[in-house]
Order: sequence, then structure tokens, then C-alpha cells
Amino acid sequence: MFDAKEFVEEKIEEIKAAIPGRAVIACSGGVDSTVAAAIVSKAIGDRLLTVYVDTGFMRKGESATVSKIFDNLHLNYRIIDASEEFFSALKGITEPEQKRKIIGAGFIRVFEREAKAFHSEYLVQGTIAPDWIESGDKLRDTIKSHHNVGGLPEDMKLKLVEPLRDLYKDEVRKVARHLDVEVSEKQPFPGPALAIRVIGEPTRENVEIVREACAIVEEELEAAAKRGEMERPWQYFAVLLPVQSVGVQGDRRAYGRTIAVRAVESIDGMSAAYSRIPHDVLEKISLRITSEMKANVNRVVYDITHKPPATIEWE
Amino acid sequence: MKVYVIDNGGQWTHREWRVLKYLKVDTKILPNTTPFEEIGDVDALVLSGGSPSIASEAGRMGNNGLYLDKAPYPILGICAGMQFLCTHFGGTMGPAARPEFGKATLHVDSDGDIFNGLPREFTVWQSHNDEVKTLSEDFEVLAHTDSCRIEAVKHRKRPIYGLQFHPEVENTDHGYDIFSNFLKVVEQWNK
Repeated sequence: MFDAKEFVEEKIEEIKAAIPGRAVIACSGGVDSTVAAAIVSKAIGDRLLTVYVDTGFMRKGESATVSKIFDNLHLNYRIIDASEEFFSALKGITEPEQKRKIIGAGFIRVFEREAKAFHSEYLVQGTIAPDWIESGDKLRDTIKSHHNVGGLPEDMKLKLVEPLRDLYKDEVRKVARHLDVEVSEKQPFPGPALAIRVIGEPTRENVEIVREACAIVEEELEAAAKRGEMERPWQYFAVLLPVQSVGVQGDRRAYGRTIAVRAVESIDGMSAAYSRIPHDVLEKISLRITSEMKANVNRVVYDITHKPPATIEWE
Repeated sequence: MKVYVIDNGGQWTHREWRVLKYLKVDTKILPNTTPFEEIGDVDALVLSGGSPSIASEAGRMGNNGLYLDKAPYPILGICAGMQFLCTHFGGTMGPAARPEFGKATLHVDSDGDIFNGLPREFTVWQSHNDEVKTLSEDFEVLAHTDSCRIEAVKHRKRPIYGLQFHPEVENTDHGYDIFSNFLKVVEQWNK
């Protein structure tokens, strides 16, 4: 089937030949980019600089944990707080493709600065097959512009190296396990992050709401899986919808916002079925969101759409 | 064995390549504009799906027609690939009465061949707006769903097969078995 050991050996040789000098790698601490960082650092050692960009759209606690992941892999890394830049670039932006392109370009501007300072002309990315497939090309329709492919600005000068281009998530996980990368079982998380889990403008306030809701969904589903009530889904999160509805909270009228809970089963992200989460678990999620987030949210819905016709994320 | 995938721009073209690779086949993805002569000495072709509506955008299907006319070896068309090959040999197609996306139950009407050893009913994954409406006399129907009458076809004289559903995606049950069965047909044909 797929031989992770053979794959890593082949890629190390390829990368040694492809990158004669220094390179920076864009790394979110997710499975794909961390595996790419592990392989490339095996090939070129400290000639690789790992760059993590805090866009302001990261999940709760995310930026705090990446340095530990990078330390454990003995990577040479920098963590850049670019949240001001990203929030101001997305001011007033609601259209999903525009969001993705602005975020893609925003990432590249940061990497260009870092690459220049590090005297490097190569940018390594953890791009995998669904990223370029869904971004479209001459033959293929664009389903969504993944930030690392369809979101790259046309004037980018860095030379791209993408060792995982032909792999899908299940194969990347096999490589991660082979290399003993601790994030091997982490759920997928899109590069544009919470900005595309806010339907509408990703303001600081909106992002904070969906961040909190995502944290509750993750906590409750992971706890339920631990208790043996269900399997942990392949991917699971919350989406903030631009829909308000009437409610009643403590005998007072409420007019609050709506959170959609999404959880899917998949192998490779290219097709997916919605997760059959037990109703007791859904109820816990709903109760926690509407109580703990009562100032903003008074309704929770569950998304029961497969991919296709939906995609896993909403944007 | 060497089986190439002709890329008609499908979301799952690369999945077809991966399944063939996992089945230890020498494989490669070629754009559908590749001249027939340049394909070389393959044992079979897979015509992938894609976004073109064959009825109105057949031009985007490149050289698929030439491959079907000239190839002396087996061909498996998937989704748009199947719709194209059915119309190429005289069938008709159009917008599906009930388009199918995601999960569907396939009913196998004629086992043997590519459905050899498989249950008469199993889950498949779909993604189509159009469907084959009628077939030329050269073709027989091998399977259907409740929403779509023509889900799998076979040419009566040549080793040409078509599938409306997607055996290459993980959510389809027995997808690898269907590919293995096609590879057995290829092996027999080339003997």
C-alpha cells in the first residue's frame, strides 16, 4: 500500500538536491506542515527556518502549544504575531474566496520578510493533494482556493518546495507516526483558520465567538470519545452563522446568534459523511454553548450534510 | 501492468491514480489533450470524471473520443468519462431527473465482470448533475440506483466499461474490488 519509511528516504534525497541553500517552512503546527518540517529538517538541518504565523484566527491555546511541538522536533523556529496585519486586511471582507486569497497573500508577505532576513529563496509548504485539487487549474473547477495554492499571490518570488503534494491526510499521518511526530492524530484545521468559520466578516469579536464555540465542541466530543460513547470524528468544529433568532432566557426576550456544529467521518477529506454523534453528546454541546455563551448565542444546529454535495468547512 | 488515468478535470482523478498505485499498477495521470500516440504501450485506460457537462461542453473532454476509437485495450470510464463514452457510441444523456451527491445504494443487476464476487446491493458515493438517458444496442446495463437507471454499463463486443458512481473514493464500499475486477478483465484481454 503506502510505505512511509521508503517515502521519507526518497524525499530526503530529493530535498537535498532541490534546496542547495537555506529555506523557510510555513508551519502551523498541524499534521501536514509539521511532517514537512520534520522531513526537510532531516534533509538540510539548521539551513531550515520554521516559521509559525499567529494570524489572530487560531484556536484557543493553539499558539501557546506550537513552540513545545517545535522544541520536541529540535527545529530552528520563529513565532510571528501578525494578527494586526490580518485583521486589518480582512476588514469589511465577507466573500469566502476573497478571504482565502487575502489570507494566502498575507502569509506570503510574512514568509517573504522572514526568508529575506534568513537569506533564503526557498519556501517549503506542507501542501497535500486536496489543496491543489480543490484550488483548481486549467482543467479543474475551483472548489475553494486553499491559501497555500490558490491563495498564493501572483508576484511571489520565493521558490516553492512541496514534498507532500501527492499525499492525502491518511498517508501523511502514516509518515507522522513513522517519524514519531506527536501531532500525527491531530484533526485537520484549515490554513485560513477561524476566519472561514465566521460566515461574514471575521472581526475580532466574531472570531472570539467562534473560537469559544470550537473549543466547546472539541472538548465535549473528545471527552465523549474518551468515555467510549463514540469514536472521535475525523474533523469537528463550530461555525458562526450570520443568522439571528428569537429566544427566551430567564423570562426575557433574547435575539441571539446561531452556531452550527459540524463533525464528519473521512479518510482523506475528499469525500466525507456527517458523523452520527449520539444525541446525548449533541445535547451537552448545545447546553454548554447556549449557557456559557448566552450573551451572543441562543441557538445551536447540527449540520447533517455529506461531502459532496457540501464541503467539510462552510467556506 | 500499466494503466494510465486520463484527467478530465475531476475532483477524484488523483484518487483513481492512488487506488491503481495501491493495487501495484504502473500508473500516471495524463491530461485529456494528450495525443493518442503519446499514451504509448499501456494495458488499459481509465477516463476520469470531471466538471464538463457532456451535453453542452463536450469540447472540454479533449481526445477521449480518439482514445475510444483507437484503443485496442480495455477502457473504464467513470462519471463524466462514462457519460462521454455512452454518447460517443450512440447513447443519449441530459440533466438527471434526480441528481445524486454523496451516499446512494447501488443495485447490481448483472454480476460477474467488474462486479464479480460483490454483494447485489452496497453503498456507493455519487456526484453527478447529468445522467445517461439511453444506450446504443452495443451496451448493456449492469447496475442502477433508485434515482438513476444507468449506473454501470458494459460494451457487448469490446472491453469497455462505464460507472456513474465513484469506485475510487473511500466512502464507496468495494471500490478497490471493482478496480481489481477491472484489472482482471485487463489481464485476460491482454493474454
